[in-house]
Amino acid sequence: MYYPEPTTIWESIQYSPLGIFIAESTWAFPTIETIHVIALVTVLGTIFVMDLRLLGVASKNYPVTAMSRDTLKWTWGGFVLAAITGTLLYVSKTSSYMINPFFMGKMALLAIAGLNMAYFHSVTWKTVDNWDTSPVVPTGAKVAGITSLIFWITIVFFGRAIGFTLGIYDCYMVGQGDNGFIVNMLAGIACAGA
Amino acid sequence: MGDLLFNITDWMRGTVLLDWAFWMQETAFSLFMVENFWNVPIAQAIHILSIGAAFGSVLMVVLRVNGMAGAGLTFEQTAARFVPWVRWSLLVIVLSGLSMIMAEPVRNMINAVFWIKMIALIVMVLVSLSWIGSVRAAAQTAGAAYVGTSGAKSTGWVIMALWCLIIVCGRWIAYVPV
Repeated sequence: MYYPEPTTIWESIQYSPLGIFIAESTWAFPTIETIHVIALVTVLGTIFVMDLRLLGVASKNYPVTAMSRDTLKWTWGGFVLAAITGTLLYVSKTSSYMINPFFMGKMALLAIAGLNMAYFHSVTWKTVDNWDTSPVVPTGAKVAGITSLIFWITIVFFGRAIGFTLGIYDCYMVGQGDNGFIVNMLAGIACAGA
Repeated sequence: MGDLLFNITDWMRGTVLLDWAFWMQETAFSLFMVENFWNVPIAQAIHILSIGAAFGSVLMVVLRVNGMAGAGLTFEQTAARFVPWVRWSLLVIVLSGLSMIMAEPVRNMINAVFWIKMIALIVMVLVSLSWIGSVRAAAQTAGAAYVGTSGAKSTGWVIMALWCLIIVCGRWIAYVPV
């Protein structure tokens, strides 16, 4: 198949041998996507378990540190696998993803969810000995739990929305009609040099 | 494999399933699902979120039987925490799944992978029910020191593998040649 000379860094990624292989193969994209979903539900499931403990909704009599020990390695294992498979999916259609508001929104939410987790582990977690076995958790931990739940629910919705809107947005649209502030802003990133 | 699945799907086209699918397509609920662009993605997001909730809960029970989580808890305490979440999540999985089937009845009903998924789902539920019953009975006297037999441990991982198979089929409904 003929591919045009890349005009943006995103097209260079998409038209790399790896990007072309994943895009052209009949089995690669669905297989990687399937592994992405299995990794994702592992992340989601273990995060839900931990967040519900932090919110004091479930497992109230089980120490928070023990719950963290049970779940965190699965959350991280699933996350690393989801990140690797997600990157491979991204490589196959980079240009389309870069101008898609749901993809960029999902990446932003992942970053914010990561910051939320980092803040929780570096600040709130320091006092965990005081509330480890208590069914009542401090407000900081509750906030971390509820924001994490909201972020991850939104990340899943955005993830699904990407699949339904990929290709709707494209660089040829830029400057034509009213595409809205977000799409125009993303076009500045995705279409630079195009 | 692709040819076999295609042949099964092709055979389905000549059965009553096609009439059912056409009938479903004309129902008010099916029309509602397709008239708004966001209805199907929202149903799919709810489906994935509830799979996450069930998958995480089942994993915690399997880990407890394997002595890899729930330290200091009896099996009954672990089951009381997670089994209701599996049940309610399964209900949401089924309801969101039904709405997705109603949105695209022909794509789902006339699809060999969809029916493999349904069979795997039933097998998973039956194996899980039988497993949880036998583990409960065995764990009753052991208290917090309970760890499953090698059979109970590996059956737990078989159940996790069945969940993964169901997810694989769920994704491949969209890609299998029909």
